[in-house]
Amino acid sequence: MSTAAVAHADHGHDDEPPVDEHFGHATGGKVAMWMFIAQDGMSFGGLLTAYALLRINSVDWPVPAEILGIGLTAFATFILICSSLTMVLAVEKAKARDQAGTARWLGLTILGGLIFLGIQVFEYMHLVDAGIGFAQSSWQGVEINDRFGSTFYAVTGFHGLHVFSGVVYLTCILLGTLKGKYTQGGISYSAVELVGLFWHFVDLVWILVFTFVYLL
Amino acid sequence: MTTHDTDVQAEAGTGATGSHTEHGSHIGIYITIFLTLSVLTVVEVFVPDIYSAEWNAHTKMLLLCILAVTKALLVGLFFMHLKWEKPWLKYIALTPVYMGIFAIFLMLETAFRGPGG
Repeated sequence: MSTAAVAHADHGHDDEPPVDEHFGHATGGKVAMWMFIAQDGMSFGGLLTAYALLRINSVDWPVPAEILGIGLTAFATFILICSSLTMVLAVEKAKARDQAGTARWLGLTILGGLIFLGIQVFEYMHLVDAGIGFAQSSWQGVEINDRFGSTFYAVTGFHGLHVFSGVVYLTCILLGTLKGKYTQGGISYSAVELVGLFWHFVDLVWILVFTFVYLL
Repeated sequence: MTTHDTDVQAEAGTGATGSHTEHGSHIGIYITIFLTLSVLTVVEVFVPDIYSAEWNAHTKMLLLCILAVTKALLVGLFFMHLKWEKPWLKYIALTPVYMGIFAIFLMLETAFRGPGG
């Protein structure tokens, strides 16, 4: 950013970042976050493509709904959707310079992430107990296609890592909010907006994973 | 929850207006999107039961894919603000779609020859 642009951001219309020819008012941070999200989406795309090919070309793939708990996972999906709502409300509060409101909604978003992770841990423990391993799988005492467990843990585990990272990232932003860093007006809220983009992406990916891995 | 949301809506309506008019009134949209996503999730859970028969497998797959893509689009367009961003940011966001097209292309062989062949 040039000195003139910094001066512009500091004084003139400091509610908006400088206008870019291609990205409008989007901040550099927002463009960077979107590029990260796009490449992260490619990573999920790679895993889901491998899963799809292994599954479509196999003759003995189990019916996921007979092994996985759809009801519990639907509830976890709903929790993530709720946390997306609390996340957008946190961004709105930060824009409106409401420090307590931002902190409250960020806290609820973190809580949603933790509940999701708790459900996932419970699900994994239950599945491992029932015989679904990372590399070898059996169900009700009968050997089943090992790739069912491998792909399940690879895809949902990679997503779970994202939820975990998101909770850590959100916690950092919550601490900054409590110090008053993101509710000073202007574009100071953008850090909250950026963690929001990441969090919604994690929600968006889960929507696809829930469909392809659990429901189909 | 409902009273609380209305409270929030009222607060943000007054708080975020002024220089941010184009972003000021999003809370109503967010709640609509949230409710839509919740309803679509419930619908999704029942689709496999309704179309459980073997001859319905393709309908089930198509419906579930349409529902998932719709939900993903709602999150991207509204929660992630893509609807209000410039085209270049949308192009960046769309790049992972190539992966989906590539995946469909790779699955075509099995789709025609049948699995394990």
